[in-house]
Amino acid sequence: MTPKPPSPSHPKTTGIPTVSFRARLAPRELTRPAPRDYTRLIGIVGAVIVGSLVLVAIFAPLIAPYDPTIRAGAPFSPPSAAHLLGTNDVGQDILSELIFGTRVSLMVGVVAASAAMLVGTAIGLVGGYFPRVGSIIMRGVDVVLVLPFLPLLIVLSAYLGRSVLNTILVIAFLIWAPTARVIRSQVLSLSRRDYVTAARSMNARDGYIIRRHVLPRTFLLAIGEFVAATSAAILLESSLSFLGLGDPLQKSWGSVLYWAQARGAFLTPAWQWWVVPPGLLIMLAALGFALLGYALEQKINPRLRRA
Amino acid sequence: MKRIYRRRSWSTIVSATAIAALLGGCAAGGAPQESGGPSPDAGASSAEIVRMANFGQEGNITPHTYETATGYNLLGLVYDSLLQIDEAGVPQPWLAEEVTTSEDGLTYTMPIRDDAAWHDGEPLTAEDVAFSFTYYQDGPPGRFRTAVSNVESVAVDGETVSVQLLEPGASFELRTLAELPILPEHIWSSIDAPDEAPFDESTSVGSGPYRLVESDPGTSYSFQANPEYFAGAPTVEEIRVIQFANDAGAVAALRSGEIDIITRSVTPEQVPVLNGQQGLSVLEGPEYVTTLLAFDTQRAPFSDVAVRQAINLATDRELLVSDVYLGAAIPGNAGWVHPESPFYDESIETTFDVDAANALLDEAGITDSDGDGVRELDGEALEVELLAVSSNALRMRIAELLAAQYAEIGMRVEVASLDQEAFDQLVWPEYDVAAGRNYDMAVFGWSAPTQADIGQMGALVDSDPTLGNLNITGYRSEEADALAAELRTESDPEARRAVAAELQALIAEELPLITLLYPNGLYGHSSDAYGGWTSITGQGPINKLSFIPADARP
Repeated sequence: MTPKPPSPSHPKTTGIPTVSFRARLAPRELTRPAPRDYTRLIGIVGAVIVGSLVLVAIFAPLIAPYDPTIRAGAPFSPPSAAHLLGTNDVGQDILSELIFGTRVSLMVGVVAASAAMLVGTAIGLVGGYFPRVGSIIMRGVDVVLVLPFLPLLIVLSAYLGRSVLNTILVIAFLIWAPTARVIRSQVLSLSRRDYVTAARSMNARDGYIIRRHVLPRTFLLAIGEFVAATSAAILLESSLSFLGLGDPLQKSWGSVLYWAQARGAFLTPAWQWWVVPPGLLIMLAALGFALLGYALEQKINPRLRRA
Repeated sequence: MKRIYRRRSWSTIVSATAIAALLGGCAAGGAPQESGGPSPDAGASSAEIVRMANFGQEGNITPHTYETATGYNLLGLVYDSLLQIDEAGVPQPWLAEEVTTSEDGLTYTMPIRDDAAWHDGEPLTAEDVAFSFTYYQDGPPGRFRTAVSNVESVAVDGETVSVQLLEPGASFELRTLAELPILPEHIWSSIDAPDEAPFDESTSVGSGPYRLVESDPGTSYSFQANPEYFAGAPTVEEIRVIQFANDAGAVAALRSGEIDIITRSVTPEQVPVLNGQQGLSVLEGPEYVTTLLAFDTQRAPFSDVAVRQAINLATDRELLVSDVYLGAAIPGNAGWVHPESPFYDESIETTFDVDAANALLDEAGITDSDGDGVRELDGEALEVELLAVSSNALRMRIAELLAAQYAEIGMRVEVASLDQEAFDQLVWPEYDVAAGRNYDMAVFGWSAPTQADIGQMGALVDSDPTLGNLNITGYRSEEADALAAELRTESDPEARRAVAAELQALIAEELPLITLLYPNGLYGHSSDAYGGWTSITGQGPINKLSFIPADARP
């Protein structure tokens, strides 16, 4: 561990030996102010959004004014004091539906992204560490990458039938490939480092090298990928549910939109309280995870790290 | 596109439609507006053109290749039958001037009117009628071959036709004479495979108020009035049928003035929106469509009549009508028959009483012994799966509400949504009840003909898979079989009513199925464009009667 760089303007350390960026940039700063680094702010905004959604999901029964499965008022009521976002076609409170829907949407997003990350990381590791095998595996990854996304998603989910589990499987199946690519390139680079060669020359087994030297430094990258994949998975879940290919009886943001569409809210004034709020929530969740993922990636990914 | 006859006005109509679409499209935000298209006085009794939105896959409009219920109704514009049902659904003389039935109910004698002619100018004769019967008998399987399956022979004497039946058929007038499209012998006698015959001006010849002049299956159809029609010149010059992919598109097209009527009911929540727009309105009327709860009566727990009775008592039909259909439906009669039907028996009671339902289950020994809120039957928790078709939003909501209602009587219901094909595969495999079934409960629906002909009530309960071809719940009872047989053959109106009442009482008691509700017909249309719509009770306004002069209607 080398000592901390002396520059006070760069207080935090990543633990990776480096020289002060400021010191090197100093001469240019005289002529033009360096662009401000918003990464930290972006990360905080993302974390706040994601954090609030997670809190809403956890405490849904406490926050929601009604049980979303019961008839809380007259069907198709416009917003009122009793029902801030009105009621749906069978008199369920839309606000409560959305609050409880946060659970399903986040759960599907996180589980699908975790599964995708596991698969992607495993394939990326193997593909990067064993380049011969990798060159074959990566052609498979290429195939998955070029598959037309939404049509395949629709075909698969129509074929497998409607359930939350199937939705998760289908989404995971489609989003693991980019992760595999990113991880593989990192592993390719790591496995040629001098200390890996040194370890190998001392007869270290592959499993040991992967565990000791490759995986720890790949793992952070996978976390960044995971957060970005969650954003994609939430969007996909909403698309599927909206199209009626998810489980329409499971309360999620997408299924609220599905019912809005099925019961004509797009053609009546009800779109203002039945279509816009779930749409905004989906956007917010995707944005939150995307911002967080971006910030993490900036910190973690060696290719993007500012130098 | 297949053009049958050359038409001059085609391009002008296209441009008028396009302009109307453009104008309507601009204003389609909900603001009141003039409806596009030709708009004479409001509620006009005649019109230049009426444009209809239709759905689903449709073949050529011939008796052998039409596909949907609307296709069948359109067929009635081109072809005539011997009898024509009136607004009350009762068969009246049409091509036949009168019908005389022999004492034994086996011979029907009908003089054929002499002023009817085919579209190509040939006169319509008794020979054509006799030919049609035998041609359908020898033709491919289908609705019309079934309709003539009970016919033994047809004889022609001058302009009079007499039909000999194998056994008395109480539904013969309604299901055969009033449905069978009469075909021109000089066209079809040389064609062996009618379902594969070329479709062009040489074969599309009928005797009805309209000629089919353009046919582009899947896209559009165009019908031109036949001014020589024996019942008088039709009230609308041209009828265009435009195929739509879904309701939303059709409703948007109606609101922007691109079409004048939708051939299928709109969903209840559209009614205030359409009625609120100037120039548009919704024709609402009772319809013989039935939404029901089906279960496999040969499978536990539904094999126990006490369970079926408890489910019936626990079903809050009023709530389904008010919350799912927003009032645009009639609560179901436990005895199956629609209250508007002449065979409805008022003495049958349909009760909603959760306490009575719970008491019934307690009495039957199905109790909740472990206190988890779910009853047990033979040590197994009372848990069942309720299937609903995912593309039908209203039926899915019904399933959801039913699951909540049955939780009140200690039955745990898991709702599963399936696509139509998977659903049919479980509930009505191969559309043949002999192929069995594999489901607990399902929200199901029967179309209007099952109520329009009271004889079909027997088909719901008869244990013989051929006679009980609608018995998707696998119900078996000798008493029901006997009543169904009587209903098939008894043609005396009073005796028939009595048999129907007995069968209704049996259904209400034994509950081979649970009638939930009868959705009303809700036909969104442009009241500016045409006002001559005539609904046949229980069957809606898309029919021949809407287009023939009021004084000529039967």
